[in-house]
Amino acid sequence: MTVHYFPIRHHGPGSAASLVGALDELRPAAVLIEGPADAGELLPALASDQMKPPIALLCYKKDDPSLAAFWPFAEYSPEYQAALWALRNGAQAKFIDLPSAAAIGHDAEEAGRDEAGDDNEDGDDDGEPPGADQAGPETDGASGGRDAGRPLDPIGRLAEAAGYEDGESWWCDLLDQNPAPGPVFGAVAEAMGELRTDVELDPFEAKREAHMRLRVAEAARVADGPVAVVCGAWHVPALAAKVPAAADRKTLAGLPRVKSAVTWAPWAEARLASGTGYGAGVRAPGWNLHVWRTWGREESNAIWLTRIARLLRERGHDISPASLIEAERLALALAALRDRPRAGFEELREASVACLFGGDDLLWRLLEKELLLGDQVGEVPPDTEAAPLVKDVRRIQREVRLKPEAMERELALDLRSESGRKRSLLLHRLGALEVPWGELLDAGRSRGTFRENWRLRWEPEFTVALVERVVWGSDLEGAASAYLTHQMGRAGSLDALAQAVGDAVAAELSEAWTQGLRLLEAKAALTSDVGQLLAAVAPLAATVRYGQARQVDTEPLRALAERLAVEAALGLRHAARGLDDAAAGSLAAGLRGADQGLRLLEAGPETMAVWFAALEELVDDSAAAAFAAGCAGQLLYTAERVTPAQAVALLERRLSPGTEVAWAARFLEGFFTSQAARLIYDTPLRVAVDQWLRGISAEDFLGHLPLFRRVLSELDSMERKRLFEAVVRGSGPARLAGAVVLPADVWAAHLRAVAPLLAGAQEGGPDE
Amino acid sequence: MTDVLRLTAEETYASELEALLEDSGPRPTGWRLTPKAVLTYLLGGQAPGGAQVSPKYVGARRLMETAVATLATDRALLLMGVPGTAKSWVSEHLAAAISGDSTLLIQCTAGTDETQVRYGWNYAQLLAHGPSEEALVATPLMRAMREGALCRMEEFTRLGSDVQDTMITVLSEKVLPVPELGMALPARRGFNVIATANNRDKGVNELSSALKRRFNVVVLPLPASLDEEVGIVSRRVRELATGLDLPVPRGVEEQIKAVLTVFRELRSGATEDNKVTLKTPSGTLSTAEAIGTLVGGLSHAAWFADGQLGAEQLAASMVGAIVKDPVQDKAVLEEYLETVLKKRNAYSQYYGALNDAL
Repeated sequence: MTVHYFPIRHHGPGSAASLVGALDELRPAAVLIEGPADAGELLPALASDQMKPPIALLCYKKDDPSLAAFWPFAEYSPEYQAALWALRNGAQAKFIDLPSAAAIGHDAEEAGRDEAGDDNEDGDDDGEPPGADQAGPETDGASGGRDAGRPLDPIGRLAEAAGYEDGESWWCDLLDQNPAPGPVFGAVAEAMGELRTDVELDPFEAKREAHMRLRVAEAARVADGPVAVVCGAWHVPALAAKVPAAADRKTLAGLPRVKSAVTWAPWAEARLASGTGYGAGVRAPGWNLHVWRTWGREESNAIWLTRIARLLRERGHDISPASLIEAERLALALAALRDRPRAGFEELREASVACLFGGDDLLWRLLEKELLLGDQVGEVPPDTEAAPLVKDVRRIQREVRLKPEAMERELALDLRSESGRKRSLLLHRLGALEVPWGELLDAGRSRGTFRENWRLRWEPEFTVALVERVVWGSDLEGAASAYLTHQMGRAGSLDALAQAVGDAVAAELSEAWTQGLRLLEAKAALTSDVGQLLAAVAPLAATVRYGQARQVDTEPLRALAERLAVEAALGLRHAARGLDDAAAGSLAAGLRGADQGLRLLEAGPETMAVWFAALEELVDDSAAAAFAAGCAGQLLYTAERVTPAQAVALLERRLSPGTEVAWAARFLEGFFTSQAARLIYDTPLRVAVDQWLRGISAEDFLGHLPLFRRVLSELDSMERKRLFEAVVRGSGPARLAGAVVLPADVWAAHLRAVAPLLAGAQEGGPDE
Repeated sequence: MTDVLRLTAEETYASELEALLEDSGPRPTGWRLTPKAVLTYLLGGQAPGGAQVSPKYVGARRLMETAVATLATDRALLLMGVPGTAKSWVSEHLAAAISGDSTLLIQCTAGTDETQVRYGWNYAQLLAHGPSEEALVATPLMRAMREGALCRMEEFTRLGSDVQDTMITVLSEKVLPVPELGMALPARRGFNVIATANNRDKGVNELSSALKRRFNVVVLPLPASLDEEVGIVSRRVRELATGLDLPVPRGVEEQIKAVLTVFRELRSGATEDNKVTLKTPSGTLSTAEAIGTLVGGLSHAAWFADGQLGAEQLAASMVGAIVKDPVQDKAVLEEYLETVLKKRNAYSQYYGALNDAL
């Protein structure tokens, strides 16, 4: 029977549309698709109503799910459409590529690569520069990823010859955006043949092609109608070539073998993008979906522009329909200027930047992700075989002997022992995936120790959650890392991000934490809110210390924490001015936290010099919020940057009559908050305060009484008694005399004043 | 030789424009060259006859394509960018290539009124013969409409808002009403407007949204790489120094590189190695300002430092360029000095000098 070859572009909506048209015309009896041969049994599932792309064929090594390969399919993937066509039209559908086991085995063999192959860099759709994470395109790219590993970019060469700067645009114009069906498939195959003439083929590629050739020949023998072969354009010349079957079998000898399993898994649209590390990915899944859904419709440009306008309007920009008309006209003019048949993605982009974004490239880049990446997540039927992530979790549970039980129980772990560490990692990593099997009981206190106390309780929905997280990776470590990285990208505040980085360290997810560190750095630099900067120092310091119990290098965090402290110190002067009580309180809390963090870190002398200089400046700044200034004074005194004599001088100066009483009282509060016990032991300080207290008017004293009470409230009754004793008789004969004699006078005067009143009241009482 | 100080673009590049005339593609009515030939003229390349065309604009091709495509529709073009990004240069060459005349120019200032934009009156004529077309004084805009040519409006946002809005009728209806004569002057095909504006200046008049809608905006970016910018700056600095009779000391390239590194890092909000993110000051720190800073430094060096150019001579002008807002920008610079420059040994002199200047 005749064999027809359809060279397609992976995930090319144009290819898919032309392909469906061509299949309708040809009505083949068998449709052979480039895909792992052993996954053929899974093909009928594609017709299920519950199967919603994007989905992926997921193949993994049975005893090590971190070794996995995936074949993603979007709605507009020609392979998916071809399979659907076959299922709906009663044709036979088959995968013809090497079995998945060979693909994984091959990846495992590539030394040094298999480590990075856990397809999990992605999920981070946040500012990762495209092409930055190229780790593991081999494992990642299955069907098309292998194409990326080729010594040259065949599409790029063809495009160059056609005078295009960018291969993608050329391919788009030729196939995707040229709706006239025609002998385009033959032309592409021919061009590929030309390209392949001077290229040395990778041995593994040769094996794949040999395998596909054999399968095609086999199908042609048995089929009772035309046979359609749907595969990447690159392979078509090789598949069509006449090669003796014996030679092909010889090529196939010695294939790497591993025990593998194949299943369907839901996929995320965003992960189809090439920027997220998937080799055969496309630049803009969102755009591809648009092209597919508006295929052959005249108003497709208008639909795209309207989508942009909607996004802009949601963000409060006024975009009139007239501007959309102008944008489309400009796009058409640009296409004409570039000799292109239709306005494509680039023309529409440039036209919208000029007409809708006011020329602002930055604004475009902000919207770009939402527009181009898309946020759809696929679905698979519930009866699909368990996802590898679930299996991996079960495997680790067995390995560390931790059974999932619905009964609540507590578990104490010693991180110094290997088993304790592994159990802790499992729980932390599940936590990172938001599968809260274990709850860390003493989260705050345990930092820096080797002991963790957990409360465990397994809920049935955790399994469901794990299936949902398969999108992020097929093994626990990879998925946790990718998911956490994704969450970091969304973290709003600096300290939330610092916390997430801490989680990454606790779960020993080095990729996530490297990424988090980068985000943290970027965010820290752009934050001018001193409060946020200060707040982030403490969790970072805690992480650095906690990291000592983990196998993670936390040295960069130390540098970052110090940098944050320096930045905060430089901005402190302005941040401490014009604050109300609440703001001053939180600034002071931040100062104390950061100071403690710096001591915990044992920060370098340069950092400490800047830090103390800022505190010294704050203490002397009369425009600063008094409470914060007082707090700075306390920190300097505690750190022995100020001698006791200087501290007394400072208090005397700040509490002198020239200072407004309200300010001085706040300063006092700031100085002694959480340090009130100093008043008991530090005689010179106490005297300074005492003198000030005695100097202020009764009215002022009463006015600020609640504040003084607040300072002293942290002392227990015993301490208060000792303070009272110290004040009353602790300070020299003169004070003693005053303290003892004065009350007697007061009592006499008091009696003299009260007695007549009492008498008067008695007289007046009956009258009323 | 001519004694004209500066020739127009169409005079300087007359031969190139002549050669490009031969391009045979379709051209919009009123255009001297085809849109593709205009692109070749701007970006350099080969004319149909084989003659070489020098590049006038070094930068992204797609920006120029958008600009030319805009003018080929009937939308007006607004070129934006910080000082020193070749806005006026591009607008002059576009006009020269498309209309063959780059002199229909209105320099917009706060003092430009409607009579300088639309039309004025020749009062002697007006008094002697009454209102008539002869008594009208045509502005460059009016002449461009009559001739079907491009009119350039420089620094458009400096125009008062009321004067700006007189352009709305011209841009949307393509006529210039003259109510005094009960007539309206229609624009001939080929007429269009190229406006330029600075997008970082404060205290200028933002375009009303009615007007903005009638422009397509192309933002011209700053030079992409350090080397490119060093090249541009050192060429300009040498030219200016020669004009001012300032000696250029040896090793000036190093100082240019240092100053530009600081400017670029602060401007882009990240160090050149892209490892540390920074805050950006409120000023533009444009290439033009870097040139100004360096020429200031050269002058200082020549008159007060025996011709030695170093961090000390440059620091004061650098601080002047960076710190536009005394509180906010000072904090930004301080942070940059402490977190970045302090750790670079090669910049220790700049660290010290800038700290002193602060």
